[in-house]
Amino acid sequence: MAIGITAYSAYIPRRRLGRAKIAAAWGSRAVPGSKAVVNFDEDALTMAQAAVWRLLPAAPEIDRIYFASTTAPFWQRSSASLVAAHCDLPAEVATADFGGTLRCGTSALGAALDAVAAGSGGRGVVVVASDARAPRPESPEEMIFGDAAAAVAVGRERVVAEVVAVASRSDDFLDEWRRDSDAHVHSFASKFSLARGYHANVVAVAGRVMEAAGIGAGEISRAVLASPDGAAHLAAASALGIPAERVEDTRAGDIGVTGSAMPLLLLAQALDRAASGDLILVVAYGEGADGLLLRVTSEIARLPRPCVSAEASVLEYPTYEIYRKLRSGDHAGEAAEVSNVLWEREETQNVRLHGTFCPGCGTLQFPITRVCVKCRNAEGLLEKPLARTGRLFTYTKDYLYDAPVQPTIMAIVDLDGGGRLLCQMTDADEQEVEIGMEVELVLRRMRPGPSMHHYYWKGRPVRGGSQ
Amino acid sequence: MNESLKDQVAVIGVGCTKFGDNFDQSYEDMVVEASFAAFADAGIAPDRVEAAWLGTFSPYAGRGKASVSLADALRLYDRPITRVENFCATGTDAFRNAAMAVAAGVYEVVLVVGAEKLKDRPIRGLGREGAHPWVGEGLTAPGMMAMLANRYMHQFGMGREMLAKVAVKNHRNGARNPKAHLQMEVGEEQVLRAPVIAWPYTLFDCCPTTDGAAAAVLCRASLARQFRPDPVMVKGIGLAVKTGRPWNDPCHEYIGFPATTQAAHAAYRMAGIQDPVREIDLAEVHDCFTWTEISTYEDLGFANKGEGWHFIDEGRSALDGDLPVNPSGGLKSFGHPIGATGVRMIYEVVSQLRGECGARQVPNARQGLVHNLGGPGAVSCVVVLGLQ
Repeated sequence: MAIGITAYSAYIPRRRLGRAKIAAAWGSRAVPGSKAVVNFDEDALTMAQAAVWRLLPAAPEIDRIYFASTTAPFWQRSSASLVAAHCDLPAEVATADFGGTLRCGTSALGAALDAVAAGSGGRGVVVVASDARAPRPESPEEMIFGDAAAAVAVGRERVVAEVVAVASRSDDFLDEWRRDSDAHVHSFASKFSLARGYHANVVAVAGRVMEAAGIGAGEISRAVLASPDGAAHLAAASALGIPAERVEDTRAGDIGVTGSAMPLLLLAQALDRAASGDLILVVAYGEGADGLLLRVTSEIARLPRPCVSAEASVLEYPTYEIYRKLRSGDHAGEAAEVSNVLWEREETQNVRLHGTFCPGCGTLQFPITRVCVKCRNAEGLLEKPLARTGRLFTYTKDYLYDAPVQPTIMAIVDLDGGGRLLCQMTDADEQEVEIGMEVELVLRRMRPGPSMHHYYWKGRPVRGGSQ
Repeated sequence: MNESLKDQVAVIGVGCTKFGDNFDQSYEDMVVEASFAAFADAGIAPDRVEAAWLGTFSPYAGRGKASVSLADALRLYDRPITRVENFCATGTDAFRNAAMAVAAGVYEVVLVVGAEKLKDRPIRGLGREGAHPWVGEGLTAPGMMAMLANRYMHQFGMGREMLAKVAVKNHRNGARNPKAHLQMEVGEEQVLRAPVIAWPYTLFDCCPTTDGAAAAVLCRASLARQFRPDPVMVKGIGLAVKTGRPWNDPCHEYIGFPATTQAAHAAYRMAGIQDPVREIDLAEVHDCFTWTEISTYEDLGFANKGEGWHFIDEGRSALDGDLPVNPSGGLKSFGHPIGATGVRMIYEVVSQLRGECGARQVPNARQGLVHNLGGPGAVSCVVVLGLQ
């Protein structure tokens, strides 16, 4: 039976920073387009969790999660495990973390395909690639780097895009890097780097994929070529003999160059429009290149499409600057530290978002309790997962809380099926918040502790579209 | 409840510091000033005090969360002292504990002190002590109470101008009070256009962050006339505790404070009050935020639920209304040093019943009410005081 992709999803942060605003901030030449930027409470981990959570309804049976990023929030602490826990997956779902190169997303995908082929991947592997890129202020990278996450599930059942051929190559060419002590990337961005690094590796690995599949460039329906600048991939396609109209838009223009997330994000975009029988070539570059060829199956029709949404809101440069200061550790104040004793005891409640069901009166409630909030029954109470959608019961817009961007919208949310939760709102326009509105709970970064990134749930307005 | 406190306990002395930014006073300075004023008012020497209760949220910095902040300030040693903390109902709960000890016959003369030195703290507002690093992060005191106001306004269609009317009234009263923190009048437009603190509350919908201390000397009712000819009697006390997490309680309607209703019910029953609007001559209530006062009219039974704003709109709670509320200026204008507030309200009602309040005096006041509210409406204490 064929192995391949069984589901896919994408998460693009809502805010777009116009490049003209960056140019205006630095007094440089205006450049068209925009880039997607994480909110102050987002990072590669929260974006990855959002992408995986969106994927799970279409791929409920998975046994592994592979997380890939060059901007994971911890040097040591598994982001894959954090994602799994916040998606309420059991401990039997194995996790692994990939990083170190811009092609870590496709490397993780290759490893997932191998695991499924070998049988060790169980019923399926979810691969999520996510990057919240941190360019140096007033650098060329600041103009182009964008933030996004994308996920694919790999398995044997109900495959929507089967793997036809794969290839990979390694090339220790000095192009773009970040040391363990660096906050921002260094780069030898130049014509030489594009030719000797990107172009040479992409063309070589794509050639090997096509050779392994026994096809010519003319048979490729869509070419998903991750691009360092939104232009170099067109030259590579041309060299391969793939016409420009079959090359997937990199979204470098409006979302930006999204690092390790880019290959899977563009693949998701291609799958959004693919028809059964289409051949999709995917190539990612970074110290070599990964390539794979997929054939779309008739199963594609069962997935809700499109999954890559265009929802966006405008971000101003001064606000972006506040986000940046925050990420560099410039906080107004620190939250308390959380002990691992408290964290462990409340893990199912705060991380997995479980509540208590009272068999006496049928009330599902939050937080986990020993005595029912409604009927005071203390017998036979059961721990149950809560829905992550609900409605706004009441709220306030608070200017006293020392938040990086004011106001902080505090909300009480009645979750669908039961459970009333107090949380901050995020990604909400101040004017759109009203009692009764639909809200989804999303994982976000809270005010940090002295030595810890804190994550908790926030309410986010449910808007039209599938994002 | 078998035993009633009614007419068992008398207040024979009260004292209160100026409330405000008391930058040149320490916690101990304020405790001494309020306590010595109460001793002088009662005509007793400090040594006559047999036991004491300290109501405080945040004791003297670095001296521990215990009773010693009172003992060391007054050098009042070798007798029982208890520190009480019950959110913003701390002051009245300290008073309640002292009154019960006297009524029980254990002591003849006791001291209650409420004190708070918020301006010694390096934070804005009240802050959150012992907060969970994630759960509830982002919640502030005004935010907590604003979520109730928004739900109430959504349900009953009340406009923000009614909130402003509460601020205007209490500032007008406070402007006539030499001990109030904010001795200034404000206009309705000024309130509505002030910077938003937590929607729908602007700066002038919120009580200030205040330093202050207040004290009361209580004694057995039968001994009261040995100390002064006009003792004020405790007529009734009620305290009720409801959930401290209303935001997790699917039964909580978010349109008022059931704890206040419960506490008032107990206090009225003890005092024999059937019709509070007729039988109470003035009330000092917990107007930490303007909407809290409107809900409190309803929760205390002065108005039906959802109609409390007519009580302010029609001027009934004004100084010249039929039930003046917060003639002192309230928390809004007089200030709100957490643990001190409840005892300060006792001070105000006792002073009103004695006819000592000058420009803000409620004429012919014979029975007054004190109301404290703590946390997100979790704790309420109601005290009824009256002349014999």
